Amino acid sequence: MDTLNELLNGFAAALTWQNLIFAFLGCLLGTVIGVLPGIGPVAGVALLIPLTLNMDPTGSIIMLCAIFYGTAYGGTITSVLLNTPGEAASAITTIDGHAMTKMGKAGAALTIAAIGSFVGGTIATLGLVAAAKPLGELGLLVGPPEFFALMVVGISLLVALAGKSMVKALISGALGLLISMVGIDPVAGAPRFTFGMDRLLDGVSFVAVIVGVFGLSEILSYRKGESTVVHAPGFRSLLPTRNEWRRSAPSMARGTGIGFGLGLIPGMTGSVASLLSYGAEKKFSKHRNELGKGAVEGVAGPETANNAHANAALIPLFTLGIPASPTIAVLMGAFLQQGLTPGPTLFTEHSEIAWAIIASLFIGNLLLVLLNVPLVGLWTSILRVPAPILTALILLFMVIGAYTINFSVFDVFVMIGFGLLGLALRHLEIPLAPMVLTLVLGPLMERSLRESLEISQGDFSIFLNRPISAVLIALGLLIICSPLLKLRKPKALTDDPET
Amino acid sequence: MTQSPTRARPARSVLAGIAAFGALGAYVLVSSVGLGLWTSLGPGPGLFPFAMGAVLAAMSVLWLLQELKRPSTTGEGADGGLVLAVVVSLVLLAALLDLLGFQLSMFLFLMYHLKIRGKRSWLSALLTALAGSVGAFYAFNYGLNVALPVSSIPVLNLIGL
Repeated sequence: MDTLNELLNGFAAALTWQNLIFAFLGCLLGTVIGVLPGIGPVAGVALLIPLTLNMDPTGSIIMLCAIFYGTAYGGTITSVLLNTPGEAASAITTIDGHAMTKMGKAGAALTIAAIGSFVGGTIATLGLVAAAKPLGELGLLVGPPEFFALMVVGISLLVALAGKSMVKALISGALGLLISMVGIDPVAGAPRFTFGMDRLLDGVSFVAVIVGVFGLSEILSYRKGESTVVHAPGFRSLLPTRNEWRRSAPSMARGTGIGFGLGLIPGMTGSVASLLSYGAEKKFSKHRNELGKGAVEGVAGPETANNAHANAALIPLFTLGIPASPTIAVLMGAFLQQGLTPGPTLFTEHSEIAWAIIASLFIGNLLLVLLNVPLVGLWTSILRVPAPILTALILLFMVIGAYTINFSVFDVFVMIGFGLLGLALRHLEIPLAPMVLTLVLGPLMERSLRESLEISQGDFSIFLNRPISAVLIALGLLIICSPLLKLRKPKALTDDPET
Repeated sequence: MTQSPTRARPARSVLAGIAAFGALGAYVLVSSVGLGLWTSLGPGPGLFPFAMGAVLAAMSVLWLLQELKRPSTTGEGADGGLVLAVVVSLVLLAALLDLLGFQLSMFLFLMYHLKIRGKRSWLSALLTALAGSVGAFYAFNYGLNVALPVSSIPVLNLIGL
């Protein structure tokens, strides 16, 4: 009953006209980012953090969350209409979604995708409502050693699941942690790796790093001839037929289950959820022989899974303070910038903000359906903007985003430097995802390690003497050592484009 | 036992990458010892970086061994001209941002990318560059309360740039 009351209070806060506008703007911007092929959700969310710094914490997080799940839907539009996924998680939708477009059923495909996203997102948010209290209370029992062990597991999973090589993923993770250590040491107050530069005493701005590594490096890695030719798609009708609705329902149910389950596990991205959902359709759908030729199940399943994942991935963040994917890590950075620490204390210290954000997730999911389908013509027209103009405008926003975080040109140089580093990492096929996660988690991880060792007066066995942390540390080690044990990971994880 | 006659060798860029990460790991290892690994109160400021330096150095060695055994693939090469044009123009923009102010420096930056590199028509380039520089300045300063820099040259500052 308590939970329901708090949720209702959350709705009252989220339904103020100001917060509604933020959710609306977030959905719009998120969809644009999702539609644009050059800029993914990680850089997109990071880029827009500076815009929200002057807002109140609730409005700012509501807007960034809306941007986050807005991208999940925006990517679908280009997948269906143009056979070009706007972001990685929608790649699999191109197969049946674009085939439906060729059959003149683009409108139906987009409506099914939107409704599927709404269903998946709403059910996952209901899961968040149900899990918030019990998991949050459990989280309060967690001390520094358990918190450290939990982060070890989270990072191990992402490292183990990212890319093809564990060695490269570990390099990426270590690099992120090292970058997060630049500046004044949080315990002793000593400057670390500042090279005598006063500007580095506060550390490296994570927005500048992420915009550089994910956004600028993407632009730098464009190759000649990579331009999108946009044809106006033919719409017979936006409404799917009764048969299409009937066929989509079981796929949406499967997609919700898969997306929700995977959203809870750190390291599992939206791409994995949509790929596995497509696999499930191939196995269980009654019309599996039509998949690949424009079957509605191939759109309904993956798109539902993708959005269910996006919303379910907020559960570990809100309740335990653990980001499950790179985009969520950036979102966590935004929470920290606003002085909010995601995790169990969020519900005790900032309960009204937490519930307002949760309520806004329901509203945002509804807004996306209402916005996206009728406005689909507007979204595709964005892609008709010539490539040089788009690139120039994206660069403009990157410079503004990096500059305004501290109002310093230094951060623009940091962004350029990290753009080049990102380009090198891409060339060497080093996954970028572990770096973002450790960049955000680094300071928290170090603090909990040092607090644990202070409690135990320097005795490392504290991590093994406490049952929860012992189990978690063992799990983390098992995950990291999995290549030595010859444990194979599924192909969907090896080829995950998001990591 | 057969062996392929032309055994693949690791790409030069990969070896350079491994050397860079190895060197960074070694540098971090050495400098974190200087920061202090342990104090009377417990772990020192150098402990965590030391561990990360060790991971970086160890992984570089492992990667090198893997490369020597079986060279890995690298991503496709970037378009050198584009990288140079974008990076140099961004560095110049950042260097001139405080001197010329946001509006003028961003206008020049956008004109370069739209007119010279993008070969847009004069009208399209001018309108987009004006919207992205002057338009963005006013939208951010007055709409979002986010102050973008103005020129430090008095004459330019006086005319609102």
